[in-house]
Amino acid sequence: MASETVSVPFDVYRYLPGKDAAPRYQRYTLELTPHTPVLTGLLRIRDEVDPTLGLRYSCRSAICGSCAMQINQKSRLACETQVGPELARHGRIVVEPMRNQPVLRDLVVDQTPFWREYAKVEPHLKLDPRRPMPAGKPTPMTPAEVERFRETPRCIACAACYSACPAAEADPEFPGPMALAKLYRFAVDPRDTAHQERLLRIQPNGLWLCLRCHLCTEACPKDVRPSERIRDLKEMAIAAQGATELGSRHAVGFKRNLREGGTLNEMKLVRQTYGVLGMLPQLPHGLKIWRKKPEVARKPHPIEGLDDLQKIYDALDPEAKR
Amino acid sequence: MLRHEVVVVGAGLAGQRAALAAVEAGRDVAIVTKLHPLRSHSGAAQGGINAAIGVDDSVDAHIYDTVKGSDYLGDQDAIEYFCREAGPTVIEMEHFGTIFTRAEDGTLAQRPFGGAGFPRTVYAADRTGLALLQGLWERLGSERFTLYEEWELARIVVRDGRTQGIVALNRRTGEVQGIAAKAVIVATGGAGRIYGRTTNAHSCTGDGMAVAYRAGAFLKDMEFVQFHPTALLEGGILVTEGARGEGGILKNASGERFMSRYAPKVLELASRDVVSRAITTEIQEGRGFSGPYGPYVHLEVMHLGKEKIESRLQEICDLCRSFAGIDPVTQPIPIAPAQHYMMGGVGTNIEGETNLPGLYAAGEAACVSIHGANRLGGNSLMETLVFGKSAGVAAAAYAAKAAPTSVEAEELAPVEAELRGWLGRTDGEDPSALRGELQRVMDRYVNIFRNPADLAEGLRQVRALQERFARVRVVDRSTVFNLNLSDAVETGHMLDLAEVIIVGAQARTESRGAHFRTDYPKRDDAGWMKHTLAQRAPGGPALSYSPVGFTRWEPKERVY
Repeated sequence: MASETVSVPFDVYRYLPGKDAAPRYQRYTLELTPHTPVLTGLLRIRDEVDPTLGLRYSCRSAICGSCAMQINQKSRLACETQVGPELARHGRIVVEPMRNQPVLRDLVVDQTPFWREYAKVEPHLKLDPRRPMPAGKPTPMTPAEVERFRETPRCIACAACYSACPAAEADPEFPGPMALAKLYRFAVDPRDTAHQERLLRIQPNGLWLCLRCHLCTEACPKDVRPSERIRDLKEMAIAAQGATELGSRHAVGFKRNLREGGTLNEMKLVRQTYGVLGMLPQLPHGLKIWRKKPEVARKPHPIEGLDDLQKIYDALDPEAKR
Repeated sequence: MLRHEVVVVGAGLAGQRAALAAVEAGRDVAIVTKLHPLRSHSGAAQGGINAAIGVDDSVDAHIYDTVKGSDYLGDQDAIEYFCREAGPTVIEMEHFGTIFTRAEDGTLAQRPFGGAGFPRTVYAADRTGLALLQGLWERLGSERFTLYEEWELARIVVRDGRTQGIVALNRRTGEVQGIAAKAVIVATGGAGRIYGRTTNAHSCTGDGMAVAYRAGAFLKDMEFVQFHPTALLEGGILVTEGARGEGGILKNASGERFMSRYAPKVLELASRDVVSRAITTEIQEGRGFSGPYGPYVHLEVMHLGKEKIESRLQEICDLCRSFAGIDPVTQPIPIAPAQHYMMGGVGTNIEGETNLPGLYAAGEAACVSIHGANRLGGNSLMETLVFGKSAGVAAAAYAAKAAPTSVEAEELAPVEAELRGWLGRTDGEDPSALRGELQRVMDRYVNIFRNPADLAEGLRQVRALQERFARVRVVDRSTVFNLNLSDAVETGHMLDLAEVIIVGAQARTESRGAHFRTDYPKRDDAGWMKHTLAQRAPGGPALSYSPVGFTRWEPKERVY
């Protein structure tokens, strides 16, 4: 490990709402070894330069989830992000508060929206009194059943995913990646007796607002992979109640559409998504597209080798054969 | 003034379990915590939680191991209660929703741990604390209680011979408020940040211990400070005992598996005090490696194979890779001991009662004592739950019968005046600089091996820091998230506790468990088989002693 120090410029977001007219960035330059965590740098600023810097931190070992922030535009834990690679890539360390949550002071955000969404998915075991847990014994659960949780038990609720999520930014109705990963954790728990109810509730309540951009998975410091669990929840929700939402009907239509002809039949997809009556409000928009691109209205020819494609589809998903 | 029947300070496992018990007893409960409950330091516990539920194991074996591990300073009646409750408690946590690692047959998997005769440690990979914290918070979350999140404890109010409530500082608004309570439960965890090299989180500043001490409660056995054998880098990031439980071995710079000289029978699975002293001895005698973060030895897990390392020691793998640039699958882990746990704390009985009516304590903040002079790995998570519950039950019962209490303006005033004094200075001492100096003093003079000259010098320096603290200055004038103010509050607490640790260590002229005196290297059962009790007095802590509770286990020489 190199122990030579280098000069590390930090540009730190400073803002005290109600007192400061606007946020500003303050430059602090520290001599640090390249493997120094960003958090250590920020604490040195606090201890040695400017004790008024506001931030949350506690364990400094990536398990308490306190120190998530934007570091060079990415949602990261400050304790496990080293200054060296950041400096090499960006030439400086820009530190900002997490997004999608109002700033209380400097790097400290109000996490009320994040915790509200967490609470909404009812993150606790729901039990059926007619199916009590075995008295005086742990519930049997095989390693294979534990595997079904995937990496969701590793979640430290740091909100890095929530900060990275464009759907949470665009639509306050979107529960966000962490809450949905938590919902998944309960929806696969063999002890929970409300799987069906959970899935029925989530489909019309934001599940399909996920943009599948996978930024949450990229941001997650614990490899929870929320976007993959959201994908699983979508499949589970459709299996539980069929496609009831625009999003799920679109997904199901898309898949069916491709299996039938090997290419997208856009007119059909619109009908599959909105239904015949639901298409009416879409009419002006459709006409506009049609004027520019009349071929959208034509039924596309099935592609060559459709048989092979269908075999692949059927092999991957025997259920879809219908 | 805010008012509740039971106020729990601290929202880690002990605080949450106490709150759940009090809520279930029908009381109006509030939790006051400086961190969101899921960010509590309980979540950083890695290796596991002990319960003798294996087919070949027995509650008696767990009791014996704990008594022996405590170096016969643990109260045997409390240990018996603790070990009997352990099995039902781990099952209850499973029923609450905790996701544990499982054996192929669907039962709870158990791994070997230091100082234990059987694989007794139930676990969730190497994030058992997080798994329990999630399980308990999710269970508690469906109950009704009030959460004061990011509030700091400033004072416990005692009047007319009983606890009246607390005074706390709201970190988000800067307001100082009284919260009246018929019963207060201190569950604020440990005080590892008294040391510079510690596995503990920055938040572990012993607030509850110090505030209870100032209110007149006894602090018990504070000189017993546990150093974890395996911590990483200069700061001392924890590497779980589970690494050795799974088969990890320790080697010195000559490649020798040196534990064979210190604990020939159980090697790396001796209890923590033994292994930490062995590593320190190797280093002091020149058989360690030297590196940019100080001397160290190697912890090797390579021989366990990639699959086992990456599944059972997943978090350790990540920590080594992202913090130290080391891959445990192919490289040894550089480790050295670091402060880890306070065996001492606010003195309580099994019910969590302190010497002050209406004041209870549980978890690391308390000292029942079941750990005595040395805690076994895997016993502290269980302690938080077993004694969190008993304190919650007892506090709820007390509150149900107690007359109303109040926190009066004149009890708030001294806290406000003190904070105003700090904020009003134009010149004075920087709290974080004082904290840094305290940490250096404790690392240097009050560590694994102790001697009278070091302890005297340590005490002299701590008292000098206390004097300087009287002129502490907070430069941040903001009311919102004023961490400069929090630094001052916490540093004041830690200075009090450091003094108690040293005074207790000076008086105890023997070596027992984690307290090792080079001038008195033997245990002295005739003179010292007793608990230290420290009570605040004008000239510093006044010490008295109380007997150890005995049932069936006669003291023997402790060999591993």
